[in-house]
Amino acid sequence: MLKNVTQAKNSLIEQLKLQVGHISNRIEAQGQAVFGEGNVLSTDEITDLSVQFLELMVMLLDTENPLDSQQPAFRALKTFFGNISKQIVARGGRMEDFVRYMQFLQRCFIESLGQDEKVAPEEMRAILLLLSSVFNELLLAVFQTYLEEKERTIEAQQRELRETSTPITEIWDGVLTLPIIGTLDSSRTLLIMEALLNRIAQERASAVVMDVTGVHTVDSQVSHHMIQMVRAIQLMGATAILTGIRPEIARAMTSLNIDLGNVTTRATLSDGLKEAFRLLGVHVSRAA
Amino acid sequence: MNLGGIHLTRVGGGAMLAEPSRALDLSDTAFVLEAILAQLHKHRADRLYYDLADVPVIDTVHYAWLESLARACRAINVRMICIHMQPTAAFGLATFLQDPPSFDTALDMEAR
Repeated sequence: MLKNVTQAKNSLIEQLKLQVGHISNRIEAQGQAVFGEGNVLSTDEITDLSVQFLELMVMLLDTENPLDSQQPAFRALKTFFGNISKQIVARGGRMEDFVRYMQFLQRCFIESLGQDEKVAPEEMRAILLLLSSVFNELLLAVFQTYLEEKERTIEAQQRELRETSTPITEIWDGVLTLPIIGTLDSSRTLLIMEALLNRIAQERASAVVMDVTGVHTVDSQVSHHMIQMVRAIQLMGATAILTGIRPEIARAMTSLNIDLGNVTTRATLSDGLKEAFRLLGVHVSRAA
Repeated sequence: MNLGGIHLTRVGGGAMLAEPSRALDLSDTAFVLEAILAQLHKHRADRLYYDLADVPVIDTVHYAWLESLARACRAINVRMICIHMQPTAAFGLATFLQDPPSFDTALDMEAR
């Protein structure tokens, strides 16, 4: 097997030396057709891509066992394709096009071999096996990079959504408002609490008005989280005012035996703000 | 004055400020507690501000100390107010507290 691999890689290197100009031109032209028209990659980048690919391929074939995916030359080639795929995805290119382009690169080698009559059928078989093994590994690496990038994007979008869905606003000097919309689960509560407590310390806020008009259902877990948030605010030395508790939620809290005895509550956000102003000694009135 | 890991200062208007340091041994606080109460008595204080600015986390042992000091202060008619509680400490404490603490809290001395 190893003998076959050695023969195959030597033949491939020979082919590359003989036809490097032809292969390079072909893959550059294909790169231009696939990535150049949509401005995914510039002309210079496409040229660099083909030159670097051929260099790295020769480096890999020069090693003792090109199929060893742990060796530096193989890792360099994987990293190279990983980086290119990231770049293409980041610029709005299609992963499908990149995968087809990689298949084209493989085909270029195979076609160049077919033109050489000196290559024996057995040797040809070994070369094809070597090529397909190397490219399969590279495709897997590219696919993995693509999935990781996608996951990172989804995580970032979720984080952004969580942050924007709980906007903490300083509505007056020392008064923060926090409208809570949707469901309060453990991870969201942790996120809100962290941001809120840091804002209290940062703005030296004396009052926090938490409006739960947008919370439609409440279970023991959600109410536990709300009480926890109120307690943390109080421990910081600020006053927490809970507003907008819907009748059905008030009823649910009562049936869950949730005691809001130590919590300042008001019916609406505006009542909550009035209470916060009263605590601060701020008087707001109509201009005469 | 330094009382076994807590620095106590008169801040005027019947108030005293307690600033704990790393030297405070939470496993043996009986002596410190008595010394603080004696000083509060001596200076006829009605408020004790306990500065938590350098305490990033309050665990159950630390909380038990704060509770016992607050209850002891209440016994001699002194109101204990914890100030400068760090967000990390408030966050951690809120997750395990079942009842409101025996002490009051404020952002700083000016706040209350």
